[in-house]
Amino acid sequence: MSTLHLVRQSAFTTNDFAQCINILGQRDTIVLMDDGCYNLKHTLLDTLLNTVTTSQLNVITSHARARAIDIQANVNNIEMSALVALTFTHQQVVTWQ
Amino acid sequence: MNTLAVVITTPPHSPLTATAINYVESALVAGINVIGVFFYQGGAMHANSNISIASDEYQAIEHWQQLAQQYQLPLHICITAAEKRGIACDAIDGEKLNGAFTVSGLGELVELSTKASRLVQF
Amino acid sequence: MTSLNITIEGLAIINSKAPFGSTDGKDALDIALIFGSFEQKVSLFFQGDGVYQLMAKQDGSLISIKDYLKTFSAFEFYDIEDIYVCQQSLFERNLNEKFHIDDVQVLTPREFGEAIKQHQHVLRF
Repeated sequence: MSTLHLVRQSAFTTNDFAQCINILGQRDTIVLMDDGCYNLKHTLLDTLLNTVTTSQLNVITSHARARAIDIQANVNNIEMSALVALTFTHQQVVTWQ
Repeated sequence: MNTLAVVITTPPHSPLTATAINYVESALVAGINVIGVFFYQGGAMHANSNISIASDEYQAIEHWQQLAQQYQLPLHICITAAEKRGIACDAIDGEKLNGAFTVSGLGELVELSTKASRLVQF
Repeated sequence: MTSLNITIEGLAIINSKAPFGSTDGKDALDIALIFGSFEQKVSLFFQGDGVYQLMAKQDGSLISIKDYLKTFSAFEFYDIEDIYVCQQSLFERNLNEKFHIDDVQVLTPREFGEAIKQHQHVLRF
C-alpha cells in the first residue's frame, strides 16, 4: 500500500520533513510544495533518497519557480492537475504542514 | 467514482490558502466529485464575512465562493471553531457568517470521511 | 507487526505538537472523540513533540490551561483502542515510557509508518 506525502514546510524551520522521512514506505510518493520546495536543497534529501528513488520525488514547478529554487534534473516537475491524479493512485494522503 | 473531501485548517490570510484552492479547483476541473470542504481550526476564519483583504491581494474567500457557486461545492464550517473565532452562527447574529458556508459540527467531518475515497488536509 | 488480513478502514490522527503550546492536541482529540462516538474506527499516533501529550504527571492548570489530557483516560469508552507512539521520538527527547494512560504501543518508525497505512484517511495536527 502506498501513501502520498505532501510536504509543505521547510525542513530548515520545522521537523515535519524529517518525521515524514522517518516513517516513509519504499513505495510511497513525495510531493514538495509551498515552502516544502526549499527541501530540494536540504541535506535530508539524501536521507530521503535512501528509502525512495528520485522517480518517487515530485515538486510543484510553479511553487519552486516562484521561490527561485533550481529543480534538479532528475526530480519530477508536476502541476496541480498531476497532484490530483496522484491523490487517487495512492491509497492515502498525509499532509506535513 | 473518485470522491474527494478536503479539510482546511489554514486561515484565509495565509498565502498557503491559494494552494488549497488551486488543488480543489484542479480536482473539480478534472471531474472529481468533491463531496465537501470542511473548515476547521484557523480555516474557520474563511466564513467570517467581516474579513476585508486589500483589493490587490489574493481573495481567498471570494475564490471559495466562486467554486461553491460554479460547482455546487458544499463548504462546511465547524461551529465550535467558528464561535471561538468570533463568528456568530445563530440566526439572530448570523450576519458575521458568510452565506456561502454551511454551519456544521464535527459529525459532518465523520460523514465526509466515510463517503470520500480520499481525504486531503491543507 | 503483521499487517496481513487487516482491513484498511477508519481514520489515523497523527499528533505532532506539544500539548500546551497550541490548540492542536485538543482539536485533534475532539475529532477522535467524535469519530469514536459515531462508532468509526479512529487510531491515535504520537510523533515528534506530539509524544509529550502522553507523558505522565503533567498539570495544565498551573499555566491556566484546561487539562484536556485527562480525557485520554476515557478512550476506552469511545472504543479508541489503538494508540501508538514513535519510539525514536521518545528516544530523541530522552523520555521513558511512563505514559498517563495504559495500552500505549511503542513502535519503531517503520512499524509506525506501517500502522498508519492500515487506515483509509490520515489527518495530522
